[in-house]
Amino acid sequence: MDDLAGFDYEAALAACAAGDADALRRLYEHEGPRMLGVVRRIVRNQALAEDIVHDACINIWTRAASFDATRGSARGWIFSVTRHLALNAIRDNHEIAVDDETAAVLDAEAALVAWQASADALAWRTGTGRMAHCLEQLEPVRRSCVLHAYVEGLTHSEIARRIGTPLGTVKAWIRRSLDALRECLT
Amino acid sequence: MNPETESDDLQAEAGEYVLGTMSAVERQALEARMSSSPALRDAVAAWEARLLPLAYLAEPVEPSPWLWDRIRRSLQVRLADMPKRTAAPSRWQAIWRNLHLWRGLALAGCAAAVLLGGLLSARITAPPAVRYVVVLTAPQSEAPGWIVQASSARRIRLTPLATMTVPEGKALQFWTKGEGWNAPVSLGLLQSGQSLQVSLDALPPLQPNQLFELTLEPATGSPTGRPTGPIQYIGRAVQVM
Repeated sequence: MDDLAGFDYEAALAACAAGDADALRRLYEHEGPRMLGVVRRIVRNQALAEDIVHDACINIWTRAASFDATRGSARGWIFSVTRHLALNAIRDNHEIAVDDETAAVLDAEAALVAWQASADALAWRTGTGRMAHCLEQLEPVRRSCVLHAYVEGLTHSEIARRIGTPLGTVKAWIRRSLDALRECLT
Repeated sequence: MNPETESDDLQAEAGEYVLGTMSAVERQALEARMSSSPALRDAVAAWEARLLPLAYLAEPVEPSPWLWDRIRRSLQVRLADMPKRTAAPSRWQAIWRNLHLWRGLALAGCAAAVLLGGLLSARITAPPAVRYVVVLTAPQSEAPGWIVQASSARRIRLTPLATMTVPEGKALQFWTKGEGWNAPVSLGLLQSGQSLQVSLDALPPLQPNQLFELTLEPATGSPTGRPTGPIQYIGRAVQVM
């Protein structure tokens, strides 16, 4: 699948699988800042985030042959490899200390607002199908839960503490939000 | 449990896994099950695709310039470990797998890292004190005429120590040349008595013994881009603690 800039992720992975290291460099140059952005939001530490992007690139390189285009997009695969490394890193280090709760709450909201206001919003909407619409269908507080989890890598209990809501409620909200997103995105 | 509920549970689990809310133990358990459950694998893949647009909500962050070098070095180790990934490597791949080249690049990378590390720590720890000084003296009399002070490796100031008259239609041109450079680089033109502040951003950082000189050139500067007139003052950089 090509992106808006015409980058062919599938071809890049195929070239990596064939041993063409220049393909990894091109992929890194194209997607490195975004990978680092995703990881840094989750681990909240630049040095650790760069370690993880390093590991992600090596993972992508060594596992490129296992990518199966019939089961998902190459770009999605690249980001899931990267995100799961970041999630494993913070989960292995137990729950990270939330130092500035208010700021972090604003973060998730700000991310959504920024995206809605950004010049890329139209491209984002066109390029990502119904996600924007479906996200907007969720109640704001539930949408925040989803964003805290995906964008910031928080666990249920971290989200509960962050938004001052009982754990059971947060769990139920997220589960229902996922159901609603799945239905809406199908 | 009826199949529909089972499928809903599978979807919920896969969704939570991709969303990222699971604990380390739960994540590992689910990853272990994925290898034996195609249905779970498919559900996870579908969720990855569904939620991928959310990844684009995180603002991109420019990686450090040395991150790619690290990745490249790690890759090199792997390439050395498993040489036969394709039957006949292309010429490009042969170059890529050339150990000598890699050793060279790794050394260059290390040198750059040391240099950058030095620069960074200098920026953090160094008080705004002078670190390099050059006294420019007249070639024959060795009378000091100018002093160059560098408060960082990136910024220098040229200050006159004495008055000097520059002939009509002429100017002094300020040059520097580091070890191994092909030719001096012009740092600007000045009239007598002026002090001049110069940014070295486009040049390598200052090094000990780096040559500085002032030559007498046409008012608009050397026509060739290299010193053409007689040297008026000359000196080398000395590091001061």
